Amino acid sequence: MSILQLTGVSAGYGPMRVLHDLDLTIEPGERVGLVGLNGHGKTTLLSTIVGLTGWQDGSIVFEGKEIGGRRTHGVGRKTPAIVRSGIALAPQGDAIFPGLSVKDNLDSGAYTSSSWRSRKRRRDSVISVFPPLGKLLKQTAGTLSGGERRMVSVGRALMSDSTLYLVDEPSLGLAPKISMGLVAALCDIDIGEGAMIIAEQNLPLLEGRVDRMLGMHAGEIKLDVGEALGDVPPAAGGMH
Amino acid sequence: MIELIISAAVLASMYGLVAIGISFTWASIGMLNLAQGFIFTAGGYAAYLYAQTLTNMGITDGPVMSIGLLVSGMVGSAIAGLFVGSIAFLPLQDRANFRTRGLIATLAISLIGTQLWLIFFGPQSKPLPPIFGTGRIEIGSGGVSYSQLGAIVIATLMLTAVIMWMRSSRAGLQMRAMMMNPLGAAVVGVSVRVTGMRVLAISGALTGLASVMLAQTFFVSPTSGVQPLTVGLIISLAGGLGSIPGTVIAAAIVGLAEALTARYLAQSLVPFVLFGIVVLILVFRPRGLGGLLEDVRE
Repeated sequence: MSILQLTGVSAGYGPMRVLHDLDLTIEPGERVGLVGLNGHGKTTLLSTIVGLTGWQDGSIVFEGKEIGGRRTHGVGRKTPAIVRSGIALAPQGDAIFPGLSVKDNLDSGAYTSSSWRSRKRRRDSVISVFPPLGKLLKQTAGTLSGGERRMVSVGRALMSDSTLYLVDEPSLGLAPKISMGLVAALCDIDIGEGAMIIAEQNLPLLEGRVDRMLGMHAGEIKLDVGEALGDVPPAAGGMH
Repeated sequence: MIELIISAAVLASMYGLVAIGISFTWASIGMLNLAQGFIFTAGGYAAYLYAQTLTNMGITDGPVMSIGLLVSGMVGSAIAGLFVGSIAFLPLQDRANFRTRGLIATLAISLIGTQLWLIFFGPQSKPLPPIFGTGRIEIGSGGVSYSQLGAIVIATLMLTAVIMWMRSSRAGLQMRAMMMNPLGAAVVGVSVRVTGMRVLAISGALTGLASVMLAQTFFVSPTSGVQPLTVGLIISLAGGLGSIPGTVIAAAIVGLAEALTARYLAQSLVPFVLFGIVVLILVFRPRGLGGLLEDVRE
């Protein structure tokens, strides 16, 4: 059974339609790169999966359970239930809690009672992925630098007991060296039988690190490359 | 002098309880709850009904009466808070312009509520039996009555308990998270609807406590919630909406200002002074006093 199956999904905000009849299947153990230019629907696709767009239509099946369907209002009303069923999102713009300490920010990601009980162990494993956070646990999140905030946001998603991790633009607004380290850390995480979708417009960052690349264009998935793009002959990259 | 300080502290702790509720509600669900006065009165009448029942059974004082009054006031106001939430929050929460609609809906509940109290309980003020006894402790030239002392102690204990609980428990973490970033709260699985109702119940309970203790001196009447609502709004604005330390400091300032004005100028000048203070604070610190205490980027 695939982890996530989208069939005929459309979504948007008000009169604007961003996703057009989109189909997508994610298998267990897959790390998928979602690439494409700004404004072509990457963020909307991830938001649709957790029910955060203005409206949406079409079937989204997560681990055999329908979490999509037609919805015309109620932004985010289903989100908590979807998140608790095992989908973690590190949203664009981080959405961290500025007045809370880094530790509380991370702990807030451990929402289900099983992950709340094991939050200390989970925190340690997040710190092993992002070592700089270890020294910052007591600091207020609102005083962190951009890179540190991103680590907190992604780390918070990792704190949950999820099977599907959605990471939106991990490199956005960060210095190249920092974003490289962050993406490398993300790609080294052992996801086991789960899956991870990383939306990213900086394609070289993901090259050779993900199992599959999906190219988004104008709200549709135009390109599905089974292997990392590094192995694609240069001709496909538009050398002619 | 001592009497002045005591009466300032009593006012500060009572208004503080109401203001913290308004402040929490605004910060976590974005609803300026103008029905807080209605919720306040509901606690008073709940305690009044409880006292009536006990008196009919022949119990007029003692711990059953005292503790029961406090508890019934808190429960009554908490239920009123949930009632306001189920009318003004749950149906409107994810519609466009919720802030404006919520404001109008709570204003409507407040106005209708006052008339309902008038219909059911009549215009007369209802006294409550004394909670803390009628004694008095003499200190130097002045003194403090048991009910003043009790009000200060209970309010402080209750506020401390709520703050500790917010800091240490998981539900408290969820509320603080929702106050800071609703989107972030949603993506970690916090339900705005469930947490919002919880906030309304807790705000209500704090308000109910203030209601019962203020009723010791001012009695319960259909409009007895108006003054606490106004002053609660002033304090929560001056304190910076959502900031607990800011609200506590603002409550102390407002309590002192009210006591000083009433003593040296005139009771009728109190609203002028209070609104003057809030305007001054907001001119110089638009985020309220809480903005002075927190230094974080959004």
